[in-house]
Amino acid sequence: MSAGARASTATKTYRPAMGAGWWTRKRHYFLYMVREFTALPLALWLLWLLYEIYRAGRGPSAFYPPSSTAFVVFSVICLLFALYHSYTFLSLAGVILHFKVLDKPVPSRLIVLSQFGLWLVASVVIGAVLIGFGR
Amino acid sequence: MDFESYDVLVVGGGLAGIRAAIAVVETNPRLKVAMVSKVYPMRSHTVSAEGGAAAVLRPEDSYENHAFDTIKGSDYLADQDVVEAFVREAPIELIQMEHWGCPWSRDPDGKISARPFGGMTTWRTCFAADKTGFHMLHSVFQTSLKYPQIHRHDEAFVTKLLVEDGRCAGVVAIDMRSGRFDAITAKAVILATGGLGRVYAFTTNGNICTGDGMALAYRAGVGLKDMEMVQFHPTGLPFTGILITEAVRGEGGYLTNRDGERFLKRYVPNKMELGPRDIISRAMVTEFEDGRGFEGPHGKYMHLDVRHLGEDTIDRKLPFMRELGREFVGIDIVHDPIPVRPVQHYMMGGVDADISGITPLAGLYAAGECANVGLNGGNRLGSNSLSECLVFGAATGRKAAEYVSSAKAVGVKPIDTMLKDETRRIEMDFLNKKSGEERIGAIREEMQLSMDAGAGVFRTREGLAKLTKQLAGLRDRFGRIKIEDSSRTFNTELMAALELDYMLEVAEVITYSALAREESRGAHARRDFPERDDARFLKHTVAMRTDDIAPRLEYRDVRITNFKPQARAY
Amino acid sequence: MAEKRITIRATRYDPEKDSAPRLQSYDIPFSDESMVVLDALNYIKSHVDGSLSYRWSCRMGICGSCGMTVNGTPKLTCAAFLRDYWPRSITVSPLNNFPIVRDLVVDMEDFMNKLKSIKPWIIRKQEVPLGAGEHRQTMDQIDDFRQFSQCINCMLCYAACPVYGLDDKFLGPAAIALARRYNLDSRDEGIKDRLPVIASSEGLWECSFVGECSVVCPKGVDPAKAIQQTKLDTTMRFVLPFGNRE
Repeated sequence: MSAGARASTATKTYRPAMGAGWWTRKRHYFLYMVREFTALPLALWLLWLLYEIYRAGRGPSAFYPPSSTAFVVFSVICLLFALYHSYTFLSLAGVILHFKVLDKPVPSRLIVLSQFGLWLVASVVIGAVLIGFGR
Repeated sequence: MDFESYDVLVVGGGLAGIRAAIAVVETNPRLKVAMVSKVYPMRSHTVSAEGGAAAVLRPEDSYENHAFDTIKGSDYLADQDVVEAFVREAPIELIQMEHWGCPWSRDPDGKISARPFGGMTTWRTCFAADKTGFHMLHSVFQTSLKYPQIHRHDEAFVTKLLVEDGRCAGVVAIDMRSGRFDAITAKAVILATGGLGRVYAFTTNGNICTGDGMALAYRAGVGLKDMEMVQFHPTGLPFTGILITEAVRGEGGYLTNRDGERFLKRYVPNKMELGPRDIISRAMVTEFEDGRGFEGPHGKYMHLDVRHLGEDTIDRKLPFMRELGREFVGIDIVHDPIPVRPVQHYMMGGVDADISGITPLAGLYAAGECANVGLNGGNRLGSNSLSECLVFGAATGRKAAEYVSSAKAVGVKPIDTMLKDETRRIEMDFLNKKSGEERIGAIREEMQLSMDAGAGVFRTREGLAKLTKQLAGLRDRFGRIKIEDSSRTFNTELMAALELDYMLEVAEVITYSALAREESRGAHARRDFPERDDARFLKHTVAMRTDDIAPRLEYRDVRITNFKPQARAY
Repeated sequence: MAEKRITIRATRYDPEKDSAPRLQSYDIPFSDESMVVLDALNYIKSHVDGSLSYRWSCRMGICGSCGMTVNGTPKLTCAAFLRDYWPRSITVSPLNNFPIVRDLVVDMEDFMNKLKSIKPWIIRKQEVPLGAGEHRQTMDQIDDFRQFSQCINCMLCYAACPVYGLDDKFLGPAAIALARRYNLDSRDEGIKDRLPVIASSEGLWECSFVGECSVVCPKGVDPAKAIQQTKLDTTMRFVLPFGNRE
């Protein structure tokens, strides 16, 4: 008999329940949940954007971009979540991406810096385009 | 009554045990092997070995050279035919380990590298950074997982060898999880249970090194050979006893005393820090006694200095040492010297076994540190032990596989009686005992401190005689221990009591063997007999169990082939 | 000068008597600054309460036996210094996410089965005969997998992983890191053989990169990195079946 088979005939063990609040007990777990949660405000904000695009599709007379303070606050909150999402995602790129140049592994710090660099460039380009078209 | 029945049963899941199990099934894939270990195999003490494994792998080296180094290192107590066979098998075993995934450190050309080591006249110690034992154990254990014929019984504590009709027929083991007593029968049993360092207070050995296999064989009527030969490693960390590998000296480290002097020039001027372990340990203790050691809260110590090697070399060759220094002493070995003192480390003595691991009891074999096959004699050279586990683990496995192909099966009825008797013994003497006032921990600590004092680096008749009385008193008190744990589930107090029982037994054998050897040879140093006496003692001590505490000692000639004993100087 | 003392609260559980684990408090002398939690447990067992059960062996952080939860964090008790907690009390409980067998001892069988399932041995299409000597391998090639070969099987990573805590069918950090160790070893040719287990529904895609496993790992194995890199590698194998391989 293998060890696995014998274990199942042993005395009872106690299986502690994990509980739903596991992520409140450690700072690292909490920040992880926030990171995962950012998907929700991002999704909501994008749903609004889709709605705006739909409204704009019905002609300029039907289109009134929202200007209420409530909406601005909502957008800022979503922006903060989006920034946190990007920050964590890009920081982890150094862990995930691994390749060698000329037989030497590329250091993870370099990979992370390059990711943030690309993010900055992309943000500038997209921002310029949007503001340009806005004018 | 149903017993589990196997062809071969291996007791112990360390390097020698796992290697033996694999050797059995590779010799005959139709055989069923049980591997019975009191801990999960990756916890076996092999895991803590650091420095390396020796073998002749370079063209400038030779079998004769390795053999001579080993025989001289043993202070001529080694059986030379065993040494000569060992040095020829070691290289094949290290290549086999490489094929099984062991990440040996390499030379630039991609071949297995080698480093200098104590008592070796050339560089033949192969290594995996400074965690050689860890890598070897994990490689061989993980490899063993691919053989379905090997059935592991993890956390099963063996309490007795079953002997039936003059042959070893299996074991009685307690399943730790359930507390159930099992008889596991086999046509051949291989003991690979490791050393007994925990009979000493200051030791590199882990908690599990309690001489189990040696005591089991002894009680079954097999002799224990050269038990007075206990190795003290020169460089252990004070307080914890954690091992600082000989490789530190191999890579060029210096041992300095309080005056900043590399004092070994007065003891082993030709080899300096790469002298054999017994001589260096004695040198350090002598320096302590002459007032040239550093004083610390945990005893006297010397400095082991590697600052001159530089951070690069240390991180490449000794990274684990740097980690240990930081973790346990709060130093960075790149900038600070390491405090070290002699510490019990290895047992040259062990179960009387021959060149193939065969013991005088039919069907019983022994390999690895628990066995004394005659390889290491009075002092083992560093890096021979890991190779020894492989060579004799493999040899024993093959021999056992051969033996069982013609051995007859074990009779069932006698086993049933033996199992019942053993269960009753443990229950009466330990588990169900109502009275008892002695604490296990107290007896154990006293034994350990007494052994440190009486059977340490230097011994005297008075010290050893006193030790025999102390051990007799402890044995007496052991009869009155109390066991507070009445549970059958994972009862580690029962395990501690049974281990203490084994330890007292082997401690007695060490002491009486040491008392009788009236000379100094290898690691056995008598202040009252400081010279080696080949006329009287070019022999192995074989201790046989009697009804009294003192064993009956027999002497057996050392087998000399090509190397006549000479004076031993480095 | 009064002797320093410290309070240790340890989980006790005897399945023959208890329906659930409880904490038992011990007050012991803190006699040396180098003392670790394991020393405290040994003191209790030797001098106070011999029935306390726990695993340990090497006491130098290499055998992996003594992993337990110390004040909420999975740690090797041989490397957890009392001075880092004193004068606060220390609560020692069994490793999280495992069934408790007795006191501080957990059931390791699931872990052992998972280790075996990823085929942790060198797999080659054609074995090199022993007589041909060693496979040539450079230190750079060893560097590729060295980090992932440092695992001592202490299971702290499984105790830290909330995914494993919620679903114990998850293959887990150590097993996947070990698989990567072999996949990256230049001598091994077994990536395809390990793929079915690693890429299974309970395999590496269950990981959502919490990363706590790497935080608690005492040997710097970084299993989180191993898992994410394996995700990338297996994806590339799928997307570019004939492209550049690791």
